[in-house]
Amino acid sequence: MKFTHQLQFFFRSFFLQAGWNYMKFQHIGLTFVMLPFLKRLYRKDKDALPSVLSRYLETFNTQPIMASFCIGALAKQEEKIAHAPDMKDFNEQVEQWDDLKQELTITTASIGDRLFWGTLKPMTLLLALFIWVAMGINFFEVELPAQLPVWYALTGSAMAFCVFNSVALFVKWKGLQISYNADEKNCFGLTGFDWNKTIFYARRIAFVLTVAMLVTGLYEFLKEVVLLDVHFVTRALIVIFFICICFITRRLRIPNMYLYLAAVAVFNIVCYL
Amino acid sequence: MTPSLILFFSLAALLELDTTYAFQLMLSRGIVAGPLLSLLTGDLAAGIQVGVFTELLFSDINPLGSVLPPSATVCCAISLALNVLGVPLYFAFVAGVLGAWLFSYAEKGMRKIRVRRVVFWEQRIMQHPSEIIYVVLGSLGTSFAVNFLLISGVVLLFSKILVPFVPAIPLRAHMACQFAYIAVPWIGLATLIPQFKWRKGGR
Repeated sequence: MKFTHQLQFFFRSFFLQAGWNYMKFQHIGLTFVMLPFLKRLYRKDKDALPSVLSRYLETFNTQPIMASFCIGALAKQEEKIAHAPDMKDFNEQVEQWDDLKQELTITTASIGDRLFWGTLKPMTLLLALFIWVAMGINFFEVELPAQLPVWYALTGSAMAFCVFNSVALFVKWKGLQISYNADEKNCFGLTGFDWNKTIFYARRIAFVLTVAMLVTGLYEFLKEVVLLDVHFVTRALIVIFFICICFITRRLRIPNMYLYLAAVAVFNIVCYL
Repeated sequence: MTPSLILFFSLAALLELDTTYAFQLMLSRGIVAGPLLSLLTGDLAAGIQVGVFTELLFSDINPLGSVLPPSATVCCAISLALNVLGVPLYFAFVAGVLGAWLFSYAEKGMRKIRVRRVVFWEQRIMQHPSEIIYVVLGSLGTSFAVNFLLISGVVLLFSKILVPFVPAIPLRAHMACQFAYIAVPWIGLATLIPQFKWRKGGR
């Protein structure tokens, strides 16, 4: 893949979800990403462009970061279609293009959702929490320091932002290159990474970080206790109650948000009894 | 509406675009949007706390397929704006969570409305492929305007309801909302454990 093509795909892919809708999902975004490449590919046969675009304007939905694997592979397949020597080969290549689009979107969406939304995002959240706690910002308390230096506030955010994006942008950039140069045998470059192993170990690290953050929170909670007054016991009971009930609501698939809103209502009722 | 409020709502609407329509660089996540918005309100500690709480509270809902989680940016923006207007953070956060929840329904409505435009967009692109840039820009512009109107509308509505009554809110209600507020990080962390739980013999 030419560097200019890769750069164009890369920057345009940030707008893949512009025009997202419930009918064809990211189809406008995909067409936007591919258009300069298609125009160049069909510059000698401009009449073919509308029928080519009609293929891109069909349903397309995948994880936006992992979409780069689809974009690279579709570009490669499109070149094969454009250079098909006869009608029979052309029809076969178009059929392959359709199959490739359907199969790759499902695979990349599954990997991307687990890796980026399910693992890396909460992991970087925990990283930011540790940075802030190390800086003395105890967000477990209602009362926080009145004045904080700006760099205090931005260090945790910046670290989470940089770690997430260094992985995401690397995958986005490399995905274009790898999928373009690979073929069906190695699943368009997807088998080049051991995704399951990466997600498995990342989740183990995240699990340890979560437990460590819970322990840190408990330590921050207990370290300044001098006597067991009503306020302390009430808070301790609330914390234990919510940790226990979260495991139940998780099993029942009740979102945290509803648990919080229910807590507001229940506490108001209890306080008035 | 003052220029500082317009700037605040504009930044919030711009950050909200990052959730779905542009970039996806995670500028819209709570721990980034909260501190960024608090640079405008001046209370950085509140920005960090609301950002962390928002992200922990919504950490169990991921944007898988067409699932639309409540917006962390909207929750942070509403909470911080109300806090600046004099509402204690633990009350403002309840309004923020409700606002984010309502916003997700409004966003779903927007996506359904956008379906009606799809045929028109497709015809336009097929006839003049270069005009796709206007379709993309139009879509981003509309989303920005809707975000701006919804966030500012919810803040103004809640401020009209809450701000005059803050002095009259009984101490018990303050206590109740504080107790629910301090439970948020524990709810979020306790939810993350099953999400990352050890699975025997498998990856």
